[in-house]
Amino acid sequence: MVLLAAIALSSFVFTADPQGDLAISSLKVVSSNARRYPNKKQDLAFVHFNITADLTPLFHWNTKQLFLYLEAEYTNAKGTKNEVVIWDRIVRRKEDAFIKFAGKNKYMFRDVSSSFKNVPPAHYSLKYNVMPYVGVLTYGEAVRTTEPIAFPPSQSRL
Amino acid sequence: MFTEELKAFKRLGFRHVLLQVLNFASVIASGLMIWKGLGIVTNSESPIVVVLSGSMEPAFYRGDLLFLTNPAGERYNTGDITVYKIPGADIPIVHRVLETHDVKAKKSSKVAATGAANQLLLTKGDNNYVDDIELYQGLEWLERKHIVGKVRGFLPYVGYVTIAMNDFPQLKYALLGGLGLLALIQRE
Repeated sequence: MVLLAAIALSSFVFTADPQGDLAISSLKVVSSNARRYPNKKQDLAFVHFNITADLTPLFHWNTKQLFLYLEAEYTNAKGTKNEVVIWDRIVRRKEDAFIKFAGKNKYMFRDVSSSFKNVPPAHYSLKYNVMPYVGVLTYGEAVRTTEPIAFPPSQSRL
Repeated sequence: MFTEELKAFKRLGFRHVLLQVLNFASVIASGLMIWKGLGIVTNSESPIVVVLSGSMEPAFYRGDLLFLTNPAGERYNTGDITVYKIPGADIPIVHRVLETHDVKAKKSSKVAATGAANQLLLTKGDNNYVDDIELYQGLEWLERKHIVGKVRGFLPYVGYVTIAMNDFPQLKYALLGGLGLLALIQRE
């Protein structure tokens, strides 16, 4: 019991602040059918991006895994603040913690108002959650886009 | 065979039995007090939960113990792991937040317009391929009132005792009976 507590406390000693690079290479908005209501229109955004990040410093003896996720942050035309995870990855070994990834969003990226029309540009950021063998879960941000990226007008097909 | 015990019992008398019963009751009451006190401090209806399914593997396995808090003024972020309970479903679910939407409060509403109060959430289990919309029983989004808490701390395996007790009820009765017997026949 004391040992477990000591391990849990010891992870506060390890403070790493890894940095990385994130580039959004392309962003398209396509009008499609909504998931639940087939005759309703729903804008979907397709994001292509490149990530390079060295997250190896986050691995220490009490790190079970990293949960890594790419998030889009924006406020839509109605003033709703949104955070949407568009891609994630679980890293379980230190050897896999050097991230070099180019690809597109894994999860559907849509707005609550079902349209990206007049939505201000969005910021994208790569965040992580360090999950311990025992103890407290910690969160952090590796990289964030310096400039917000605007949503293009919606097109009818990709 | 039991005459010896009975004699000892008689010698100790009625007061002793009452004292043991009182002891037993105080143990149960203090346990309940600690649980409810924790609930008040963390603002969560059940501040400690046991993982029951494998939908968050490899982060959490069946039987892992999670510690929750649910501060009223704090908003939830993506990547946070929440425990939520949909009305009508009897089991709370432990899943990660995939989307948050802080809806702007209507000006007419008198409730303090902190973003935390009217947040719409979408969750997903790390080990599931799709998000949880099918689990919401017709709801479009998860709202703050459905959420039991945010996972803060983690202790592996310890909760497996409760799962074992659910799977093998005999174990539960054996344990309870044993404890009860011990409490009654124990004397200082």
